[in-house]
Amino acid sequence: MRTCEPLLFKNRRIGETVFLEGYRRTGGYQGLEKALRDMTPASVREEVKASGLRGRGGAGFSTGLKWSFFPSDDPGEKYLVCNGDEMEPGTFKDRQLLLADPHHLLEGVLIACYALGIGTAYIFLRDAYRQCAANLEHAMDEAREAGLLGDNILGSGFSCEVHVHRSAGRYICGEETALLNSLEGLRPNPRSKPPFPAVKGLFGKPTALNNIETLANVPHIITGGAAWYKSLALTEKGSGTKLYGLAGHLETPCCVELPLGMPLGELIRDFGGGVWQQRSFKACLPGGASTPYLTAEHLDVALDYETLEQVGTRLGTGGVVVFDDRTCMVAATLNLLRFFARESCGWCTPCRDGLPLVCWLLERIELGQGTREDMTMLQEQLRYINGRSFCALALGAMGPVDGLLRHFAEEVEDHIRLGRCPLQA
Amino acid sequence: MPTLIIDNQTVTVPEGTNVLEAAKRLGIEIPHFCHHEALGSVGACRLCAVEFREGPVKGIQMSCMVPAKDGMVVDTGSAEVLAYRAQVIEWLMTNHPHDCPVCDEGGECQLQDMTVAGGHGIRRYTGPKRTYQNQNLGPFIAHEMNRCIQCYRCVRTYQDYCGGTDFGVLGSRQRLYFGRFSDGPLESPFAGNLIDVCPTGVLTDKTYRFKSRIWDLQEAPSICPHCSLGCAVTPGARYRQLQRRRARTNNRTNGHFICDRGRFGYGYANHPDRPRYPLLGHRRVTWQEALAALQNKLQELGELFGPGSIGLLTSSRATLETQFLTKRWAAALGSDQLCFEAHPGRDLGARVAASQRLDRTASLEDVRNCDLAVLIGADPLSEAPMLALALRQAARRGARIVVVDPRPVELPLAYERHAVSVEKLGQLLRGLSRPQQSEFPSSMEELGGSLASALLAAKSPLLIGGTDLLGPQGTEAMQQAAEACSQPETPCRTMFLLAGPNSFGGALLSAEGPCFSSLLEGMEQGRIKALLCFEADPLADYPDRKRSRAALARLDMLAVFDCAATATLQEADLFFPTTAVEESTGTLINNEGRMQAFEQVFSAGTPLAESAGGSHPPRFFSRDIPGSEPQSAWGILGALMGRSADLLTLRSEIEKNDHRFAGLSQLEARGEGRRIAAPRQYSLSHQPNISGIMGSDQLQLLVTETLYGSELLSNLSSCLHESTPSAFVMLHPQDAARFKLEEGKKVLLGTPVGDLTLTLRIAGDMVPGMAIVPRLRGTVLEPLVPGTEPLPCRIEKA
Amino acid sequence: MLLSEKQITQLKRRVRETPHPREMILDVLHAIQDANGWVSDEGVELAAIILGLSPLQVEEVATFYDKIYRRPVGRKVIHICDSICCWSRGSEALMQRLQQLLGIAAGETTIDGMFTLLPTCCLGACADAPALRIGKTLYGKVAIEQLEAILDGERTEVSS
Ligand SMILES: Cc1cc2nc3c(=O)[nH]c(=O)nc-3n(C[C@H](O)[C@H](O)[C@H](O)COP(=O)(O)O)c2cc1C
Ligand code: SF4
Ligand code: FES
Repeated sequence: MRTCEPLLFKNRRIGETVFLEGYRRTGGYQGLEKALRDMTPASVREEVKASGLRGRGGAGFSTGLKWSFFPSDDPGEKYLVCNGDEMEPGTFKDRQLLLADPHHLLEGVLIACYALGIGTAYIFLRDAYRQCAANLEHAMDEAREAGLLGDNILGSGFSCEVHVHRSAGRYICGEETALLNSLEGLRPNPRSKPPFPAVKGLFGKPTALNNIETLANVPHIITGGAAWYKSLALTEKGSGTKLYGLAGHLETPCCVELPLGMPLGELIRDFGGGVWQQRSFKACLPGGASTPYLTAEHLDVALDYETLEQVGTRLGTGGVVVFDDRTCMVAATLNLLRFFARESCGWCTPCRDGLPLVCWLLERIELGQGTREDMTMLQEQLRYINGRSFCALALGAMGPVDGLLRHFAEEVEDHIRLGRCPLQA
Repeated sequence: MPTLIIDNQTVTVPEGTNVLEAAKRLGIEIPHFCHHEALGSVGACRLCAVEFREGPVKGIQMSCMVPAKDGMVVDTGSAEVLAYRAQVIEWLMTNHPHDCPVCDEGGECQLQDMTVAGGHGIRRYTGPKRTYQNQNLGPFIAHEMNRCIQCYRCVRTYQDYCGGTDFGVLGSRQRLYFGRFSDGPLESPFAGNLIDVCPTGVLTDKTYRFKSRIWDLQEAPSICPHCSLGCAVTPGARYRQLQRRRARTNNRTNGHFICDRGRFGYGYANHPDRPRYPLLGHRRVTWQEALAALQNKLQELGELFGPGSIGLLTSSRATLETQFLTKRWAAALGSDQLCFEAHPGRDLGARVAASQRLDRTASLEDVRNCDLAVLIGADPLSEAPMLALALRQAARRGARIVVVDPRPVELPLAYERHAVSVEKLGQLLRGLSRPQQSEFPSSMEELGGSLASALLAAKSPLLIGGTDLLGPQGTEAMQQAAEACSQPETPCRTMFLLAGPNSFGGALLSAEGPCFSSLLEGMEQGRIKALLCFEADPLADYPDRKRSRAALARLDMLAVFDCAATATLQEADLFFPTTAVEESTGTLINNEGRMQAFEQVFSAGTPLAESAGGSHPPRFFSRDIPGSEPQSAWGILGALMGRSADLLTLRSEIEKNDHRFAGLSQLEARGEGRRIAAPRQYSLSHQPNISGIMGSDQLQLLVTETLYGSELLSNLSSCLHESTPSAFVMLHPQDAARFKLEEGKKVLLGTPVGDLTLTLRIAGDMVPGMAIVPRLRGTVLEPLVPGTEPLPCRIEKA
Repeated sequence: MLLSEKQITQLKRRVRETPHPREMILDVLHAIQDANGWVSDEGVELAAIILGLSPLQVEEVATFYDKIYRRPVGRKVIHICDSICCWSRGSEALMQRLQQLLGIAAGETTIDGMFTLLPTCCLGACADAPALRIGKTLYGKVAIEQLEAILDGERTEVSS
């Protein structure tokens, strides 16, 4: 069984939360100290860029590159926003981190602010994560007490304030520009890009935006160095570790930290306990609800950004959701699409009105009322919604439909031909 | 200036133009919903997709969101694009009712048009449709939410463009609701624009409901007659009834929008009490009889008392053609007793305003683009509502807006306010006209000094004044202040708010002529025996009603030419019905000296609904169209002078006669109008000083205009009555406390026209020491006219 | 009283002190909801006063979020996750059973005003599917047979 020395989960004991003392005991805040003491902001940015870290929020954009576009040296007001909306079904990693070890994120936030010349950070948390919010608030109190937060941190002259913001539901708030609107107290519709948040973000000021897991990696890159961090991955292009979620039809669903590039089958077998009830593997979402399915033929595939793109899907958030052989893929897709249709912000037509139409078609097919025409329409929806919506929500929503039509077209046809769901007895 | 190719045609457009607009320049209309020229692009509807073949952007993209760039090759009609657009329409139609045959938008519905343009005819979705409950949004706008296609244009218009805060978008996903927090009339005085911007039948004109289908309407380009800004409108009439007005686009003036006074003020043309027949005494006569009676009387008076015994009066409501012919006729009669406005203050104010250098006169477009506007004695929402909207656009681009006024001026934008008495306004302006000497009165030093330096520092500064409050002297002072606060590269422009749609024309024509006070004197002394009023109402408009009534009573003949039942008409010996703006053609010159022609929309006649007494078809038949006697005032004048009634000939004559009107004969109603060629020099030194501001600690009465209820014609529009306030007086809290008066209670206001019982309003942001009342026609406040210096008054509990 | 005088003064002070008062909109709505269980029309109007906005401006934001309740709810809201992981492990059956036990349909409140049943998207408890949240308590790996006991426990917690 392949394992690795955990970084983000090094202090994790299920049911317990580690605070400042425990965090420091295992080397906590050494990254921040090193950065403030020995490094310039630019060298921190360089290190992160060299580490090959890619955003863990879903899009997988290179963090170093994103930071290099940020006007770090401009003297004006700038913000860091940490995206902790985590509402994509199958994604629950950021919550695990905050439940186990909230200082981890705080240290990452502080180093990022130092690197980017930012004095104010917002941590945006979904409403359901009340315990996480409480943990963070407590951690912040401790940090302030210890001179790690607020004015003149560790006597370095660097000052930084952090605010925790509690949302009130809605998946769209995780989209970075919608999140900015939400923080500002506006309706959380996405904004058009350009201008990008790095140019004009929160309250019209340059804003850096990163996922919780992304930021929690930063202290380790600073303490261990870029080369070491990069070498942790199993694949050549990959870098670092990843918090993988394992859910769905598994014996032991869980969240584990493993090297980036774990083979899918191995992950399921060794950590998920295999498919439940001795059934066999039919398909999975490799990285949360918005990623196209993988099937049994993909069990050897390495779970990293590049490899998954080659097989027509994405690593997304790394939340693997497994379906056993008794799952009707039309029904599963319908469930996913109902989620996306319900979470549409209502701004653009393809998403607001297109996704409900997809639901209607899938419902008809699942109920055995579908026709060939419906199948054609479904294909048209895929073609016309993809890439034509205002933000990436609708694009993500069509991920499962894409997977369905690519890998399970026959199963869909069977519904139409039989006039019922073939998997229902 | 990027150059790109769209559908095989090359076009060069200014930097920043998006592809949708670039295509429009080539005459290619890319289907769209959410984009709007005035509101910009937001990329919500996703209908405007086009295919980018070459250049920096590739594939199918929304044309409204992509800025035009060099080297782009765009196909607006590829097979993929067309199929996609049909799909967008199909999505929008999944919840749209199929109720075109009964929908109020039918015939001018963009969704209908786009359904046809998009090639989506047959609905494949057969599931249930989402439905909503509608709200009562007040007297102007009907709400039919089921027809919504979520283009967000209404919110963007109402909140962003107009600054309203009581209408918006609720909910999310496929359950969006565009409406208010709860039922109730829309608060913004620009709410009517929702009717124009909504592409479907959600927000429609309630006052026009069930009257006609739009393809049955008679429409023509026209000008709004309800204030001095001259906004472009398109009125629509059917069955001899003026049924609605909507905004027309003129980028120099109103842009795409109009105010609700303009939109819903059209009812005057159909007013049941509108006098439609010539009258001799109170007897209905034929045109021939009436004209003969007039001619005979004039001849008789001329022979007995000389031509000077005939006085002539027009107003700011009269067209340039009417004003010009009146002047001509006066000359033909040999009378110099001619005046173009019954209110001397307004008359002289306009004459001063019309003497401003044209390159220093601001249009509404200039207002929208300014970076600093200082309003001194101007209350846009009451005196010229669209100015408020123009100021808002300037503020949205970062302009600073400063209001200096004794009244509690409200604007739909963030602005600075300084409550300053009328007296001090004049001192402030005089100080501004000598900013170097810093001759500001003691309490004005700081404000005056900072305004002067801000005006000098701004890139496109503006001084905006209302002639009612400034008076002729104040208007002149503002011009001097603007001159003094100008830099060679950044001149300070002015905009003056005048009394009516053609105050400017009258001012140009009147030159050094007398004002109405001297005509009154003539009547009082028995020199003037006859007064001919062309669309003028001296009884209501001369500030001292007692005096004008007494003077008019001494006349041998009072002849009135008008389209409304005015106070003066009640006293007339002879009456000639004239046409409403929409029933005629003519030219109006707005407050910035822009000549604007309007076309005839329909022919005058008693609305069929009225003449048929509710029955259909009409039960009574006649050869003539009932109520069709009204004629244009300039037409009547032409007939009196024995001239041809041809408008073009008349316009050429005006143009030849006075080079200021150059270009008048080429004026097209559909265009942007044309500035007059030059101002008319005018100096107040020829006039006796009529302003003498009182200084006393007595409470002073200030009469001002109000959005609804002050302007003659719109006040006749019954749909505005619900929104018109009842008579009130406004006091500063200090004064209310001093006199022990409470908000909302009845008070007794002692005024020169008697003791009036009014409701008290308390306004913290006005100057103390003043009682402010609106001019409200049809109420006890009717005899009080704005544009006079503050009068002493007293106030007590009723 | 939707909020105590003290709370109102405090919130108003925070609104005054922040350079971006609108930023406080969810905090104010959360405060009102925490105190009253939901945000009534009067609640929206109060929030508008505190924030210096119009009621509509508050409503535009309030109606966007599904965890701001603009309709009355029971003393405890049951959020049952209907997203993919919980669905794959039997949330539909759980939902049916809950409806049976409570005698209400999704979106309704029990007659005694105790529970409101609302389906919700992923609670971030995917490894503990099927999951539901009652009030502030998260229940994971819920078996149908446990439901009665869970509901009873929640009821007694309120009465004690
Ligand atoms: C509909 C939608 C929902 C999203 N939700 C989240 C989320 O909950 N958490 C998150 O970190 N990123 C989310 N993202 C991605 C963010 O927009 C953004 O890319 C990310 O926060 C950037 O951080 P990273 O570079 O560290 O990944 C979402 C994107 C979309 C389109
Ligand atoms: S795709 Fe469109 S409607 Fe959907 S969430 Fe994004 S902007 Fe909103
Ligand atoms: S006009 Fe371009 S998206 Fe609506």
